[in-house]
Amino acid sequence: MLRFHLAVLMAKCAQLALRLLGRKATHAPGVVALTLCPRFLEVAPKPALTVCVTGTNGKTTVSNLIADALIADGKTVVENREGANIAPGCAVNLLNALTLGGKCRVDAAVFEVDERASRLILPPLQPDYLVVTGLFRDSLKRNAHPDYIFSIIDTYCPDRTKLILNADELCSSLLKPDSQRTYFGIGRMDGDHEEPYQLVADHTLCPRCGTKLRYDYLHYHHIGHAACPQCDFRSFDADFLAETVDTAAGKLTVRHGDEEEVYPLISDVVFNIYNEMAVITLLRTLGVSASRVSELIGALKVPSSRLDSKQAGGVNVVMAMSKGQSCVSSCRTFDMVAHAPGKKSVVLMMDDYYDRKKSVEYIGWIYDVDYEVLNRESVVQVVAAGPRCLDHKVRLLLAGVEDDRITCCSDDAACASVIDTEKTDTVYLLYDTSTYDVACQVRKELITLLEKEGK
Amino acid sequence: MRVEILYPELCCLYGDKGNTLFLRHCLPDAEFITTTLNETPAFLGGDVDLCYIASMSEQSQELILQRLMPHKSTIVSMMREGKCLFLFTGSAMELLGQYIQREDGSRVEALGTYDIYSVRQAPDRFNTLVRADFRGTTLLGYTSRFAHTFGITEEIALAKTDIGCGGCTGSCWEGICHGNVVASYLLGPLLVLNPDFSRWLLERLGRSGEPLPFEDDLRRSYLQQLKEYQRSDLEMD
Repeated sequence: MLRFHLAVLMAKCAQLALRLLGRKATHAPGVVALTLCPRFLEVAPKPALTVCVTGTNGKTTVSNLIADALIADGKTVVENREGANIAPGCAVNLLNALTLGGKCRVDAAVFEVDERASRLILPPLQPDYLVVTGLFRDSLKRNAHPDYIFSIIDTYCPDRTKLILNADELCSSLLKPDSQRTYFGIGRMDGDHEEPYQLVADHTLCPRCGTKLRYDYLHYHHIGHAACPQCDFRSFDADFLAETVDTAAGKLTVRHGDEEEVYPLISDVVFNIYNEMAVITLLRTLGVSASRVSELIGALKVPSSRLDSKQAGGVNVVMAMSKGQSCVSSCRTFDMVAHAPGKKSVVLMMDDYYDRKKSVEYIGWIYDVDYEVLNRESVVQVVAAGPRCLDHKVRLLLAGVEDDRITCCSDDAACASVIDTEKTDTVYLLYDTSTYDVACQVRKELITLLEKEGK
Repeated sequence: MRVEILYPELCCLYGDKGNTLFLRHCLPDAEFITTTLNETPAFLGGDVDLCYIASMSEQSQELILQRLMPHKSTIVSMMREGKCLFLFTGSAMELLGQYIQREDGSRVEALGTYDIYSVRQAPDRFNTLVRADFRGTTLLGYTSRFAHTFGITEEIALAKTDIGCGGCTGSCWEGICHGNVVASYLLGPLLVLNPDFSRWLLERLGRSGEPLPFEDDLRRSYLQQLKEYQRSDLEMD
């Protein structure tokens, strides 16, 4: 225990010093703690409630919403809100739950956990609950493929941990079959499909017999409710099922057993409805009443940082996050852009900012993204901007987009001048997390140009 | 011409569908057959000109080997002679060896077409850019994998690397080009990214001299990448 107390003391000193220097101190103090006490996550006293949240997409949103709801419910809570979600970040979160004397001072701790790093975090932390938003393909360099991430969580999640799982996602819903679990899901919605319609749809074969699954309904990619025509396998029934999503009234009607529960709808985007369902399901599983959960949910807000819109010279300029090397994120954004009303120019600036410095980005991921949805009359121009612009152009041509609608610009920071605003109602700037600053610069220049032209 | 895409639900991990999309553009008059896991591969019927199988997860490798092993001797003889050309990309190449060794030391018997074998090393992920000489042209690509393949020799190799490595670290011999098999550890849209290689492959299918779809754009993109591979400070992973 001496190592532990020394680790707390030194890590808190490091945290203070870094904060005095104006740093966030969300990683380095954790490195200090884990160096001085490698079993820090295991031996540190835990609060009465420990919740971990992992998954390919939505883990930041869900963990923030859970923490906000618990705080609104009067609990003292720590969470790694800044997104430091590997072992040192989780160690800092736990450090924040401790007094200088090493005693736990909070009611609950919420950890956003990187799915690949979960093998180093879940066993020592022994969380009470693990919320898994879903598993999709992600960066091939780090995460390889969903089967690999599944095997990590399945192997390293402690048996005692209760799971909150997405019944509509046929990879993560199969995690830890012998552990206690509660499923959430969304029922049939307008515009659903009955078979995979996008380039990427993993887990479409029966996990028992390998037969192609039949879908009762499919929301997107492989997310939906499926059954095997050959054996008796079918998707799990959700314990908390969003039966009706009423976007006009802002209401979510959830079926739980024989009961119908009504909650405020905090976003009309499907993946955010899943995020909300994960939060509702956790809170209800914790024993919070439906009426109280409804009050708590009503006070929550989903971060809107992924879409940011400004008007200039009669043109709407929208910045939209479209994570590079993450086909699901880009597919959702492409779909949103393609189906938005009006004529649009779409600027692709998702080339990795760091790879371009000294390497050549592996561009294969763009063949998992549905560029085909950009092949429509309302998309008057696609600007392929960045060092991989010629590769994007080839992808667009193979998707059927006509050559004269494609403009290449190898310097993405300088692409504002090539955007055709004459025939366009909206310009969409699609950026990666690493090119956010570049996209902001382009938007600024574009707005200046539009105002100058006085369109 | 008949082209079989084998197990596309499982074998499509890293943009590999780009190859299928490109082949459809290259061979507009060909019949494309997709074979799902529980179906008998069409190539076993002898009337397929090209059979393509792309990268897959380690779990999928074992499922697929369960399905293919009952046909092992037929497959091996078809790979040595006959009209069907087999294209294996990414981790599909590991199916061609004697066995795949798991992390715990146990082995999964594979097709045994060549005297090679693969050893998995998860969670260590091996990532590298690759540049290789392929019959006087330059092959560019990327590999990201959990296994290495040992035993690839000059006699059966597809290409000789000068950036990155071949089947395993320390080896320059990348992929297999022998008999009716063309295999490469390179991931994703290999054909789109390498117009010279694509032309060679189409020639093997009896389509010589025809321009590739969007060939000018393909070559501009290829030349740009080729230029970037020449930088002295190139980081390979």
